[in-house]
Amino acid sequence: MSKIKGKVWKYGDDINTDVIFPGKYTYTITDFNEMAKHALEDLDPEFSKNVKKGDVIVAGFNFGCGSSREQAASCLVAAGVGAVIAKSFSRIFFRNAINWGLPAIDCPEIFDHVEKGDEVVIDLEEGKIYAKGREFSFPPLRDEVKEILMSGGLINYLKKNLEEEK
Amino acid sequence: MGKTIIEKIFSTHSKDEVKPNETIWIDLDVRSARDFGGPNVVKHYEREYGDTPLENSEKTFFTFDLVAPAKNIKYAVNQSICRKFARKHNIKVYDVDAGIGSHILMEEGYILPGTTAVGTDSHYNIVGAIGAFGQGMGDVDITFIFKTGRNWFEVPKTVKVNIKGKYEFPISAKDITLYILKKIKTDFALGKAIEFYGESVENMKLFERITLCSMVTEMGGIIGFIPFKEETIEEVKKFTGRENFQVHKSDEDAVYEREITIDIDGIKPQIAAPPHPHNVFDVDELKGEKVNLIFIGSCTNGRTEDIEMAAKILKGRKIKDGVILAVAPATKRVYGELLKKGVLSQLFESGAIIVNPGCAGCAEGHVGMTGEGDVSLNTSNRNFPGKQGRGKTFLVSPLVAAASAITGEITSPEIFL
Repeated sequence: MSKIKGKVWKYGDDINTDVIFPGKYTYTITDFNEMAKHALEDLDPEFSKNVKKGDVIVAGFNFGCGSSREQAASCLVAAGVGAVIAKSFSRIFFRNAINWGLPAIDCPEIFDHVEKGDEVVIDLEEGKIYAKGREFSFPPLRDEVKEILMSGGLINYLKKNLEEEK
Repeated sequence: MGKTIIEKIFSTHSKDEVKPNETIWIDLDVRSARDFGGPNVVKHYEREYGDTPLENSEKTFFTFDLVAPAKNIKYAVNQSICRKFARKHNIKVYDVDAGIGSHILMEEGYILPGTTAVGTDSHYNIVGAIGAFGQGMGDVDITFIFKTGRNWFEVPKTVKVNIKGKYEFPISAKDITLYILKKIKTDFALGKAIEFYGESVENMKLFERITLCSMVTEMGGIIGFIPFKEETIEEVKKFTGRENFQVHKSDEDAVYEREITIDIDGIKPQIAAPPHPHNVFDVDELKGEKVNLIFIGSCTNGRTEDIEMAAKILKGRKIKDGVILAVAPATKRVYGELLKKGVLSQLFESGAIIVNPGCAGCAEGHVGMTGEGDVSLNTSNRNFPGKQGRGKTFLVSPLVAAASAITGEITSPEIFL
């Protein structure tokens, strides 16, 4: 999981949880495959039809603002998204992403340099993103956050730690 | 080096060294899930941990405030999943008759100044109003805490928002809150704790503090605090029914990431237009737009004083034909207070419908949904397209909501004084 490779889906500022995963589905659609079909439905109907495993969302400021629903993060995992890179994140979304094993990367610089469909490679260990022949840096994830992410999320992280304690 | 309020609360709840930007583990005094997140928390819990006990059942709660009572079988089934789990693990349930979870857990004295609380509610930071730390979370986060009693947090940096000037009726805490949003939008405080200073905010009563602190979420902030005055301590004692709690003040030499001063002198009633809460105007700039659905309530403006404020404007007046005005007290206690004071019958006389306590028109499901072409005025905190239906939602104070209910169009309350 330390390297992620995929194509860019690009969106703007203040992308809120209602357009990432609508409230009306939050507790009526719980099947992962079904959830994937509704990801970003009200923002970009093309997304769920064409997204490929490993693809990366690049967005502006305050990505994931709004509700605390974790489905805003888990539906992207369900859809196969490899990472979200944004100028900044709503912190509730950030938590939910990490806890679902979805890298949420603060990297404002890349926004103006990539367009929809461009290929990016993310190296989580190195804290680098490669796109359009350029290299972008992001602050390396803190150890605790990295451990949760690498475990595949918070539940697996606890499972691992409980087993180690045994 | 001195500490800010959030750093002090974290320090009393963590073994780790509390420094801004560090990730630390924090013990949580109150853990709760609602009727939306709750069933998923139960599902995650039983899948991962089977029948094993919670870290502490006495600190764990379910609060059903969103689709309360259940409007269809699906929601009823979800709520019963939580009730069954609660019986098995001896967890207290504040059921569909109780009201908004974050408010109830303060009223019941579980969330107190200096404590830490989490729930599946993005406005859980509302408890900053009584000097507690609150964080809204997703279901996996809450499941983990049900099992372990703790979780990871990034220690946020703190920013200072100084409010200069005074306000008086019919300007309310909601107008001040919307005006602050207009000025700082979502980037100034994104991921930060906010401390509000200035005579006018420090003089705020508890219900006003609740309004301001609830919308720290819309400012992008983690939590907002307002320094306590003696009167605040007394009010919080009465509110929570508890005498003993720890009120934190920031140190003289506490470090703030940045600071802004906002002058509120002479501001007019405010309104947030779609598509987001920081799209704020003077009410007068939008006056005349026809409205047909009005909701007074929510965690932001659902206290007794909020609803009394609206009733003051509506007294002896009727709402406009074709307008629906729905009022939802935040909790059962609020409902009872309004009932005893005769406020509810007065609102009824004006033509309002009064619904049971809860999130009501703010959540998907009850009283506030809009169809295409509908225009809604809402005293809650969010107006993203789609959140309350297909129509347009504007955010206002209870006073603007009441005035507009009388005229059927966006109206400043000033004309009814």
